[in-house]
Amino acid sequence: MMETGARRDPLILTRNLTRIYTVGGSSVAGINAVDLVIAPAELVVLKGNSGSGKSTLLSLLAGLDRPTSGDLLVAGHDLGNRRATDLTDFRRNVVGMVFQSFNLLPTLTVLENVLLPALLAARPAEPARRKAEELLDWLGLKSRREHFPAQLSGGEMQRTAIARALINDPALILADEPTGNLDSRNGRLVMDLLAELNRRSGCTVLIATHSDLADALATRRLFLSDGALREDACDA
Amino acid sequence: MRRLNFFVRVFVWFSVRNLTRHPGRALIVVLGIALGAAVFTSVRISVHASLDAFNRSMAHVAGAAEQVAVQPGGYVSETAIPILAHHPAVSRFSPVLTTYVRPARSPADAFFLIGIDPILDRAFRQWQLDQGYGARGQIPWADLIAEPYTLILSQPLAAELGVAAGGRVELDHNRGTHAFRVLATLNPGGLALVEGGRVAITDIATYQEFTGLLGGVDRIDLIFRPNTTAQQIDHLASALPESLEMNPPSAARDSGNAMIRAYQLNLSVLSFISLFVGMFLVYSLVALNAAARRRELAVMRALGASPGMLFRLFLAEGALLGLAGWLVAIPLSGLMVNYLVRVVSRTISTLFVRVQPESLALSAWEVLFSFGATLFVSVMAAYQPARAAMGVAPKEAMEIGQRMPQGRYTARRLVLPAMGCIAACAPLSLMRGIAGIPIPGYLAILLLFVGFSLLAPWMLQGLGRLLAPGLRRVAGIPAYLAGCYLRSSGTRISVSVGALITAVALFASLVIMIHSFRRTVELWVAQTVSGDLFVTTKMGEINRYRFPIPEEIVAGLQRLAPEADVVESRRYQLRYEGFPYELEVLGMRTFLRHGGFVWLKGDPETILPRLERGDGALVSEVFSNRTGLTVGDRLHAQIEYSRVVLPVLGVVRDYRTDGGIVFYSWHRFRELFHDPGWSGVRFYFQNRGPDVDDQVVRLRNEIAQRYGDRLDMVSGKALRQSILEIFDETFAVTTILLFIALVVAALGITTTLSILVLERTRQLNTIAAVGGSEAQIRGIILWEAAYLVTVGEIAGLVCGFVLSYLLVYVINRQSFGWTFLYTVDWGALAYSLPLIGLTALGAAIPAVRSVLRQPPATLLRER
Ligand SMILES: Nc1ncnc2c1ncn2[C@@H]1O[C@H](COP(=O)(O)OP(=O)(O)O)[C@@H](O)[C@H]1O
Ligand SMILES: [Mg+2]
Repeated sequence: MMETGARRDPLILTRNLTRIYTVGGSSVAGINAVDLVIAPAELVVLKGNSGSGKSTLLSLLAGLDRPTSGDLLVAGHDLGNRRATDLTDFRRNVVGMVFQSFNLLPTLTVLENVLLPALLAARPAEPARRKAEELLDWLGLKSRREHFPAQLSGGEMQRTAIARALINDPALILADEPTGNLDSRNGRLVMDLLAELNRRSGCTVLIATHSDLADALATRRLFLSDGALREDACDA
Repeated sequence: MRRLNFFVRVFVWFSVRNLTRHPGRALIVVLGIALGAAVFTSVRISVHASLDAFNRSMAHVAGAAEQVAVQPGGYVSETAIPILAHHPAVSRFSPVLTTYVRPARSPADAFFLIGIDPILDRAFRQWQLDQGYGARGQIPWADLIAEPYTLILSQPLAAELGVAAGGRVELDHNRGTHAFRVLATLNPGGLALVEGGRVAITDIATYQEFTGLLGGVDRIDLIFRPNTTAQQIDHLASALPESLEMNPPSAARDSGNAMIRAYQLNLSVLSFISLFVGMFLVYSLVALNAAARRRELAVMRALGASPGMLFRLFLAEGALLGLAGWLVAIPLSGLMVNYLVRVVSRTISTLFVRVQPESLALSAWEVLFSFGATLFVSVMAAYQPARAAMGVAPKEAMEIGQRMPQGRYTARRLVLPAMGCIAACAPLSLMRGIAGIPIPGYLAILLLFVGFSLLAPWMLQGLGRLLAPGLRRVAGIPAYLAGCYLRSSGTRISVSVGALITAVALFASLVIMIHSFRRTVELWVAQTVSGDLFVTTKMGEINRYRFPIPEEIVAGLQRLAPEADVVESRRYQLRYEGFPYELEVLGMRTFLRHGGFVWLKGDPETILPRLERGDGALVSEVFSNRTGLTVGDRLHAQIEYSRVVLPVLGVVRDYRTDGGIVFYSWHRFRELFHDPGWSGVRFYFQNRGPDVDDQVVRLRNEIAQRYGDRLDMVSGKALRQSILEIFDETFAVTTILLFIALVVAALGITTTLSILVLERTRQLNTIAAVGGSEAQIRGIILWEAAYLVTVGEIAGLVCGFVLSYLLVYVINRQSFGWTFLYTVDWGALAYSLPLIGLTALGAAIPAVRSVLRQPPATLLRER
């Protein structure tokens, strides 16, 4: 596992991070000159209107996309200029993703979905399986292991997705609107789980959302508007 | 009208724009359909050209005749003419003689020579001379009668031979070569169109002298007086010599037509399979569109579209693809027709009747038919997805999250109907053909394809479930994920498997059938076409051995080769209850010493001595199947002047022509009936050392020196080789049709997989997001292709074996009357099936390459 090490080493460090989309002839800035430092074990809530650049920032941090310019360091990996295979390793070992629309594979059972990242990373099968079962027990999905996603409720699907994000012990969890497709009760449950996981295992959690559910749990709040980042004082 | 307008507009908005958004897939589907339609159309048009040429030729030759008097197996004696001339029922009559002749010392092909009495014939056949002649005030037909060895050529023939009116041509025939003076050329029209214009007319007396047929004619055409009753015609028949037969002029045309049509049907069905495979392409595109656009459909429904509207939209999508395919097929057919017309007419000429298609008769009906077939197939293919689109509920517009593909359930539900289809083949294959067409057999083939295609989803899921866990350990996670995808996949993926199954089955069965056929023909050729040198009258083959070899040459031939055994033979072209067959009487004892038969029914041990003695005849399988005569029955025939009754001793295989063959002892025939003469002879050298070839050459040279201008010769080796060459050429068409079906199936794999990749962009991106590498994701698609190909090949092979059985024992038997010794060409299958598999995998490459076109970050964009 990545050594996230001494308290003062930041887990995420960006300088002038910019992503410009060119569609047809015109170009749109997804995010513009973002400077951001996040320490290990923080729980950060990233807020902003729709279209403000939250997803863009997350996709860069997750190694799903490349910045147009600027520096980007996550857990010691320089994501600014890397080859694709390196990004694959990064995605396998450093981050776990949670999406608004869950994105479970419909053809795999709950257990298989959770196991998938471990299998893709060629981790030993048996320990991974034990870990997956533990995670599912913790998330209250014990009886759902052999079910297919289509047979689950929205909340159950999102909890499966959280278990999947955790299977490879990532240092960073990125959640993009994780409650966007859930009712408020399930939304709160998911937020509580993410907070508990941040507390228990000390992994860094970054939640992009425009709901207020996570405000109370966050150690830090960031605001994006039109691609520009603004820090918000936190009460906690 | 307004409703139609509205529909067209919605269709353009909803369907056409969607198709043009992904032009690649639509183009592949259109190309697939186009290939299928082009093959189908060009095959139909090519055979039709032959059929049309044959019929027109026959019609011009038959002219206005109402009845035709013929002598079965021989010539009508001119002594019958006075009887006809004086009979009150007969209004007009005209004796006719026809044969093929060849320009001497010229590479030009043989052409058709008609001998008539120009005066008597005027009521029967139209022919007009080139203007030039009449201008000089002469009466050309009078010259034809008055001046021996004159003829009139058709214009194209005159041009080909490089002669004009007044010029001379030398012609070869059985009695040698003779020079003719060309009186005039024919205007194109009437008789001049016979045989595609390769025709010449001469006076009957000249003809008889040239061919040595003094006092005989081929037939006498008759026109009766108005109001002639059936009794009067019966009276006429009884007044004629008993051995004469009166037939309607259409008899020969009908049997020729029936044979060509059977051939056309076979090729049509074979070429239709490409269209059938193309159907899978249309299905896969329309079905995937309907599934991928489910939410849009729900929105449309929520906005007020009726279920019927959605149904029609998808049906129209199928129709549009079919229409586009057919349009693209037009230039493709143009290319194929050029080649096919030639090959097809050659096959028909060797197997059935001589045809000379000169121009492409573009029958409106054939064009319409192929258009209809293409459109029908495309709309049928869209039917099921259109039904599914109808069922989308408006409330789905509000649902979130993905739906699970409806896989397992439907797949298992299809097994029973699939098994039903396959099982139905057994009783169908036992049923007789309808009107000589193996309709139940074709139905069985269709059901077989449908059955195996319906089984494909179940097999695919089974294979996924079975192999996925094991392959995870052996081949890694991509194989596992591919298996997981297939085990719960819907019927849609199986579509390309259905196409592959069909194409592989067709391939395997044709490989087996053609191999069986060829091996049997090889055996037959070695046995029944044995002999070192074959000698016949000049132009004997093209004239179907009708002219016997003159006595003095027979005597000479017997003296020429003391060191060789001689098997004399005579062939008669006869009919049994309308079915044309050939009676071959041959020197049985000597023949059996050197050659033999490929037995089908009867015990050779006991039959051979009886056959040698002439106690009875052998009939070919075709003859037996067509006439119903078999061992123990008696064959009655009128041969020249003798009434012949022959018990059938056994049934043997023979592939000489599509007609039947009957073999009988020459010597016994002469004892019992009359001297048949020789129309051919084969030599077997007794001393079969390594110098047989030299002996053949020596004998051949000697015969050529003495009788070269009156005999045709071919060495046994060359004859056997040419038979096998014709065989291979005949099946070249089949091979091309087969190849195209395989190409269309490969296109099916390309479309299905490409669409599956596009449709699953989100899933594949998710895999990338949770740690899948590009190689792993490409691996998944490649493994999916591998599963598809594996199922396609295995099921296709099984289906192919069943199909080969149907082809050999049902379709061939019912359409042509013959079967073959069933042998499987394991070698060819062993190297070609992996090759097909690799090609099919290759067809997956575009899909594999299209993976991860967009960065996985698109996952975070919510639609
Ligand atoms: N793939 C893309 N192509 C073009 N423009 C994009 C793309 N992704 C995001 N954008 C644009 O970038 C801006 C930020 O979008 P996004 O990061 O999705 O915002 P948020 O997640 O806060 O709603 C928006 O204006 C959006 O239209
Ligand atoms: Mg967003």
